[in-house]
Amino acid sequence: MLRIDGLSVNYGAVEALKNVSLDVPPGRVTAVIGANGAGKSTLMRTLAGLQKPLAGRVLFNDEDITGGKPEDIVRMGIALVPEGRSTIPDLTVEENLKLGGMWRTHAQRATSLTRVYALFPVLGERRDLGADTLSGGERQQLAIGRALMTGPQALLLDEPSLGLAPLIVTQILELVELMARDSGLAVLLVEQNAVTALRVAKTGIVLNLGEIVKSGPAQEIAQDEELRHAYLGY
Amino acid sequence: MIDFIDYLLGGISSGAIIALMALALVLVWRSTRVVNFAQLGQAMFTTYIALTVRELTGSWFLGLIIAMAAGLIVGVIVHFLVIRPVKRLDTSGAIIATFGVLIALEALAAMVWGGDPEAFPPPINNSGYEAFGRIWPFSPYDLLVLASVVVLVLALSVVFTRTNVGLAMRASAFNPEVARLSGVRVNRMLVLGWAIAGLVGAVAGVLVAPLSTLSPTSFDIFLVFAFTAAVIGGLDSLVGAVAFGIGTGLVIALVSGYSDSSNAPLVALVLLVLNLLFKPEGVFSHHKARAV
Ligand SMILES: Nc1ncnc2c1ncn2[C@@H]1O[C@H](COP(=O)(O)OP(=O)(O)O)[C@@H](O)[C@H]1O
Ligand SMILES: [Mg+2]
Repeated sequence: MLRIDGLSVNYGAVEALKNVSLDVPPGRVTAVIGANGAGKSTLMRTLAGLQKPLAGRVLFNDEDITGGKPEDIVRMGIALVPEGRSTIPDLTVEENLKLGGMWRTHAQRATSLTRVYALFPVLGERRDLGADTLSGGERQQLAIGRALMTGPQALLLDEPSLGLAPLIVTQILELVELMARDSGLAVLLVEQNAVTALRVAKTGIVLNLGEIVKSGPAQEIAQDEELRHAYLGY
Repeated sequence: MIDFIDYLLGGISSGAIIALMALALVLVWRSTRVVNFAQLGQAMFTTYIALTVRELTGSWFLGLIIAMAAGLIVGVIVHFLVIRPVKRLDTSGAIIATFGVLIALEALAAMVWGGDPEAFPPPINNSGYEAFGRIWPFSPYDLLVLASVVVLVLALSVVFTRTNVGLAMRASAFNPEVARLSGVRVNRMLVLGWAIAGLVGAVAGVLVAPLSTLSPTSFDIFLVFAFTAAVIGGLDSLVGAVAFGIGTGLVIALVSGYSDSSNAPLVALVLLVLNLLFKPEGVFSHHKARAV
């Protein structure tokens, strides 16, 4: 569904991504793991159109979307939940959700809203409260909810576990995995927290200093001790 | 005591107009983080248009409507012609450019309509109501001003809080990146912010003109008052702009009443300095209150 082909991204002289290629198929979670500074966020931001690549292509359903604007890319069906709870504290919970997918029809949006509230009941309970009153875990749910409101075919999650209790992370990620399986959503999850990410993912990809050093079935990656010591630091 | 009440009553309508002007400054600030010093130059220009339309058709109301439309258009033009190219360099460049636009508009108005002050008579009676055996400094025209401001502010708040485009504009102001990731065409929202500011300024211009006269520079003084109100209100907050716009109008009325109207700008500057010293983020900054 989402195909990344030879992607390179530089910030000035810093080579953040070097010739990265990977596939993100529908109906499952693909995890990219790597230490801080590996280039995970750069990858996600480039896919979402926030960062221009130096070289390489991004194909979505065989269409070349490289270098597109974020607002166009999300309309095509790729939604990014950026690193660090991308909610707007000045808006209410429901306003944060309604921000997603304004170009869609009224009926589509109503359906998505019902679905998001079913998935994350706490958001429904707090719909009229300011997003600043939510806990970290609730805000992450809100950020994912906003992305789902755009009716995506591909969901990009940038370190959803950051600063959250492990139990909450597991809950959220299992929900995402279920959603991928049920509705054919293609999920690309990037994480420093390899253990949790690889538990819900089918495929694991290890990124180090902007380069893919290993990819394969998530279980294999999770059990590869050498890999863990070398790149993931545990 | 009766003086005090008189001064306050006399300050209500100009306070309401200052509120609109502050609102226009805030709308622009929220969308592009630029203080548009040309805002009242734009309002002056559209007020001349209103005057011309009124002279041609005899209708004050038609003049107002055409001025509002012109305000929208001038807001968009100023955004595209001046702010867009300059913004790529830096913000201080954009602010200087707005001064350039102000000067250009004043020169253009002087060329088209002449530099001499012109009368812009109120559309309805502007002498105070009589009650309890005396005349109060509040006229039918003041009532019209107040009603117009209330209607406009309510309409804006409905747009901002109850419509998709209002939500998109607020989100674009608070967090453009998240707005774009949600599919909002943020650049269009910024242009819309300038356009609506132009419309609001146009209404303020038409309403304020009868209180003095109309000349290319006659609104300059209001920039000081509107800027003061907008900054004290937090620059980000529509509610703050309205509240402190009215407040500034009342303070000016009291100062002018008890001393001399020439002291009013000085008092505004003192308020501004005190605010910057003690509460630089503004009283209604959106970081504390949930701004609308
Ligand atoms: N805006 C930026 N400007 C310059 N360098 C950046 C910028 N963003 C990230 N980098 C650098 O690019 C590399 C990859 O960063 P990032 O993609 O954020 O990694 P990760 O998300 O895996 O922690 C790091 O060396 C980082 O310092
Ligand atoms: Mg990161």
